[in-house]
Amino acid sequence: MNPGNQGQASFEKILASIRTKLPIQNPLHGFVHNNVLQLFEGKDFHDAVREAGILYRANPYWPEQRYTDRFKEGKITEKDIFLAIEHYLGNYPAIPSLAMLGLSPKEFFYRLMFSELAFNDDDRARPYSPQPELLDSHLWDQCRRKMDGERLVLSRSPVKWRAKGYWEKHHNESFSLSIHPLVIRLISSYLDQGQSFWSNPFAEKGFWHFFRASLECTRDFATDWERVAAERLRSLRDRSPEEIIVLELSRKNIPEEVWESYLLEILFDLKGWAGMVNKLELEPWQATVKAPAIKLVDFLAALVVLEASIDDWHARAHSLDLTFIHGREETYELKSYQLALALYQITQSFKLDERWMQRFCGAELVRLIDEIDEAENLHRIRLWHEAYEHHYYREALEALSSHTQRARPRADLPSAQVLFCIDDREESVRRHLEEVDPDVRTYGVVGFFGVDMKFASLRSRRLVAQCPPVITPRRIVREVPQDPEHGVSFRKLHALRGGSDLSLYYNSRTLFRGFFSTIVLGVLSVVPMFSQIFFPRQSRVIAKKLLRLLSPSPKTELSIEQGEPGQGYTKKEMAQIVSTILKMCGFKAPVSTLVVLVGHGSSSSNNPFKQAYGCGACGGNAGIPNSRAFAKMANDPEVRRELALLGMDVPDETAFVSGFHDTCTDEFLFFDLENRPERHREDFERLRKNLKTVGERNAFERCQRFSSEEARASSAAAVKHVKERALDLAQPRPEYGHSSNALAIVGKRDLTRGLFLNRRSFLITYDWETEAGSDVLRNVILGAIPVCVNINMDYYFSCVDNDNFGCGSKLPLNLTSLLGVMTGSMSDLRIGLARQMVEIHEPIRNLTIIEAPLGRVREIFDGHPRLRNILRNHWMRLVVFDPETRTWWRFGHREFEVLELDLVPLRHFHDSTELVTKTQDDFAEIDA
Amino acid sequence: MIEILFQALLVTPFLWILFLGLLFFTKLPVPERYLSEGVKYFSFFMALVGLALWAATFAEAPRFLLLDYEDWITVGEYRFKTRFIVDLLGATYAFLTCALIGIIFKFSRNYLHREEGYFRFVFLLSILLFGLIIVSFARSLDLLFAGWELVGTTSVLLISYFYTQNQPVRHALKAIVTYRICDMGLLAASAWAHHFLHSTDFYLIPALVREQHHGAQLGVRFIGIFIVWASLAKAGQLPMSSWLPTAMEGPTPSSAIFYGALSVHLGPFLLLRFYDFLSQFPGLLVLIGAIGFASAAYASLVGRTRSDAKTMLAYATITQVGIIYLEIALGFTSFALFHMVAHASFRTYQFLRSSSLIQDFFENPTVEQDVRIDRPSPFGKYLTAEAKERLFIHALHGFHLDYFTGLLIRAVSAPANLYIRWEKYSMEVDRKFLKRILGRGRL
Repeated sequence: MNPGNQGQASFEKILASIRTKLPIQNPLHGFVHNNVLQLFEGKDFHDAVREAGILYRANPYWPEQRYTDRFKEGKITEKDIFLAIEHYLGNYPAIPSLAMLGLSPKEFFYRLMFSELAFNDDDRARPYSPQPELLDSHLWDQCRRKMDGERLVLSRSPVKWRAKGYWEKHHNESFSLSIHPLVIRLISSYLDQGQSFWSNPFAEKGFWHFFRASLECTRDFATDWERVAAERLRSLRDRSPEEIIVLELSRKNIPEEVWESYLLEILFDLKGWAGMVNKLELEPWQATVKAPAIKLVDFLAALVVLEASIDDWHARAHSLDLTFIHGREETYELKSYQLALALYQITQSFKLDERWMQRFCGAELVRLIDEIDEAENLHRIRLWHEAYEHHYYREALEALSSHTQRARPRADLPSAQVLFCIDDREESVRRHLEEVDPDVRTYGVVGFFGVDMKFASLRSRRLVAQCPPVITPRRIVREVPQDPEHGVSFRKLHALRGGSDLSLYYNSRTLFRGFFSTIVLGVLSVVPMFSQIFFPRQSRVIAKKLLRLLSPSPKTELSIEQGEPGQGYTKKEMAQIVSTILKMCGFKAPVSTLVVLVGHGSSSSNNPFKQAYGCGACGGNAGIPNSRAFAKMANDPEVRRELALLGMDVPDETAFVSGFHDTCTDEFLFFDLENRPERHREDFERLRKNLKTVGERNAFERCQRFSSEEARASSAAAVKHVKERALDLAQPRPEYGHSSNALAIVGKRDLTRGLFLNRRSFLITYDWETEAGSDVLRNVILGAIPVCVNINMDYYFSCVDNDNFGCGSKLPLNLTSLLGVMTGSMSDLRIGLARQMVEIHEPIRNLTIIEAPLGRVREIFDGHPRLRNILRNHWMRLVVFDPETRTWWRFGHREFEVLELDLVPLRHFHDSTELVTKTQDDFAEIDA
Repeated sequence: MIEILFQALLVTPFLWILFLGLLFFTKLPVPERYLSEGVKYFSFFMALVGLALWAATFAEAPRFLLLDYEDWITVGEYRFKTRFIVDLLGATYAFLTCALIGIIFKFSRNYLHREEGYFRFVFLLSILLFGLIIVSFARSLDLLFAGWELVGTTSVLLISYFYTQNQPVRHALKAIVTYRICDMGLLAASAWAHHFLHSTDFYLIPALVREQHHGAQLGVRFIGIFIVWASLAKAGQLPMSSWLPTAMEGPTPSSAIFYGALSVHLGPFLLLRFYDFLSQFPGLLVLIGAIGFASAAYASLVGRTRSDAKTMLAYATITQVGIIYLEIALGFTSFALFHMVAHASFRTYQFLRSSSLIQDFFENPTVEQDVRIDRPSPFGKYLTAEAKERLFIHALHGFHLDYFTGLLIRAVSAPANLYIRWEKYSMEVDRKFLKRILGRGRL
């Protein structure tokens, strides 16, 4: 007898579908910002987050309190609420029995948002609203009479197939005490990349083998339910994990259509680990060091078997019949008294009276209560959230449209052209640079500058992908020393240092070797500890000097020329890369004599989330190699000749210089300056000096968000302060990263130049006048917008429910298996961002504003599956400014509609530094 | 001079705690800025005084200072004496305490910035500091017990720093139960010493024992056993090891200071305090050595299989503390003290840096992708593949320590169970008897 024969076939399908719902986070060394719910993008935003919220056991919006607080502070206005309701109405069906209330949908929703309804509280802890005080006792009596003998089973009453909730409720069982410690111990050891001294001897044999061996081996010393599990595994010895899952599910008489949700619920108990298992199975190359042989089905089977054993054990211990527990219904029922209370609240909240009540019979009113309960559950928080978003959108659009009235194009020859990453953190840098030197022109392009490559640094033996995660780089670019001999000796010394670091790591934790290293290094370790904690900056300087003395780094260059297969680029390809980027920037004559490419990265210490602060377009790494490679390509005379063939004339005297901006310390570095022609020296030195000033001003602006009094006061202190942040072992917030990002503006810089955007906007350069078609625009949008949405959504989810979508507080984090972090001594593998990274974030969906003819934009968004999804399902908002007709278009529910914007006068300030000390506004004009 | 320094070292934290306590109970909102400034000056002062005291005692060593203050409590014949001994051992530990807590305070200033529980954290660490100063200089078991309890309590409260979550609270409970079991040892030792020697003074006990060479020896030996027992929980030695790795629930700096540095070394510290006494009984030294050796071997094997940063460090700590036990047993007391200091500093640093690991590995030039990091063990060749696998699994499960302690607890609680059953039975008999006398319906 095999009950699961047909089950087997459909199981494959179910497993495939399960995979699409698990978290998709990479191991931390390769962290990239992702929309946590990327795989749900096929559904409307609100519906998707609701569905995912149930899976993740998370709130997909802020708690209501935070929105109402904002309303009280005036950060959400009545106007925003009406706009939100209006916008919302088009997309969501009205309530059928609304007519009973005699209210228009608009009014209904408005009152719903401000009502204090508390009919019942269900499991998913909706915070208690205060019970309304009974003021009108006559009305209350009427309500009691009306509802006499009525009862209502609320529509949300799921059938529960898992016994877990039952055990928790009635038998004091907690999986976090029984199953999870065992499973976490096994899986973290199995997936370990080399953090433990002994590598797992089962790593090649599969997790299932390890799991069985472990239970078998330890059964004599195990707890009761583990023994049950071991017996069970013995009896199922010759079955495969798939068969076992099907068998167990059929034994519980679970109907096939709920298998998927049942298994998902089990996996989401340990969603981080499940996601990681899935990741390493599907993309083993993502592993930090080397992925073991791992299959999701093995992990799932282990969980299923353990859960079945614990069910059996409980049933045996308490003499219970499992058939009553699997598939039990847990209904939420309102009895007459509660219904009367509900009715009373409805009459009060919607300003109705007793005469209204008399018009309907009891059954009708009960149906109304049910519908209002449903509506409250579904719409209320969504409306609050939309109103909150609308407030910002409206401000942003009004500011931008007012600013465009003032903006005047500049045609004069720029003294330098500086290309930055589109990153929101570079918004302020560009603004400051333009204030310091109005002759400079700045551009925003995706920070890998079109150079997708695997980079082999002189300091590392591994290849690092320096490109957005959606691209698979095929070319290898190596950093080679100019003096080969020096390079060899440097490599040797460097490897020696690495080897000794590694051996110290392992050997300081063992018995004899640990003893000797403790004795020898123990007291000495006070020196680095003390100096790093008390004098982070100075100790770093000294350490660097010492290191330079011991093994000076050689001068290097990048070998970008095509060599062995897979190595480097041909001149033609180089010209292609260069011209693509220059076209994106809308480069046309005049090209200035100096073009600087500024990649970016972020330094921080003792920070498992370092990659999250880096350049998203370079896979979270620093953009140095990309800007170096690009500059080298663009400076090559042969490439210039090829460029000319492509119709891109770059004057001979133009020099490209590669630079780097550290977003944490606000320092600028420049590379490969030896080959620069002499006559640019003056221009370049001026720019370098200006950028230094920009760094100082930028640090000062950033420090306004930090709480250090001293750093807020003066720019010299701010410069010191941000450097200290990067080097401080104890600093959980080296910088605030992309916190508070909300906008993405695609267009000419003239559109935004002189407008203060408070580091909340991605700025992407596109000049609609340089092309007749839409090829460049396609490149620009495809390269930038998905990245912006990913970053925005990652912050959104980690911010709205940090415990379940994010990774909780940074303080007790515990690195595990070199893959991720756990909270405390043992927990699920955490996903998302830490609380300290998102605490000042505002969870607003990305609003993209594109300056281009509407037709081009529409064509591009329709032609790309993911973009179409995120736009049509409202994972982002889109506004198009058509420069030909000077109209603003907003993407409504399904189509673009004309947007009328009020002109609002913005406050004027002399420069950004004055601005940030005087106001907290998100938008303002800058006159400099 | 030494006395003044000592008094400053003792009184300052006391006043500071009093001050914080007042703030705490008046519920005055203290801006984080002022608090962390205050902490800065306080910890700087403490470190300075600690250093001065250590230097002075070092210069004076091996002479030491005995201080007698007024009795704290007098109950009938019993007098709770506040007596201190300021010697090199105590001064070293006190200085280590002041220095490391100073570092931790500085670390937490940024680490716990904007944290709601910052005040609580500072308060608890200050109490820890005070407790450790008492333990360092207490001259009698009774007084030491007071400090010992302060350390235990703060430790438990910091494990449950995130008290809104289940797991930290559960593990804090585990810690406190273990502590309590071993605190009974300390109490028993104290009672026993009062009974046999009429004193719990560390300074007097060895001499008393020497005088009463015969007669009470068997009973006196029990004092030693109790002392060893008392030291096990804090030091995480067998069989009390299983709570330590699960105690890593609080913020990293508190894990570092308690389980990497100051709290775990109280075990060996207690043994060193009693060394003159313990060393008169070779059997006890063998016991200490055996416990230390077994714990070190056990923890180093289990630690090898652990793949998360903090648990791994916890086992590494147990290993080194085990070695320190062994050193004490072998009579290398000064070396043991040095080892304690070295180890405490070393582990604190490792704990504080534990979040850097991914970056360290990623940037390490010797770690390649797709090449498993392999560390051949010198003993590996003596084991078959199957034996290695079995050893790995058993070590991964901590050699089932919880199972064996469970057995032990069941064995110990068997009499209690019997008693409970007897109680139930006798109540039932009473009931029946009364029913017969009073008739139905009256009960």
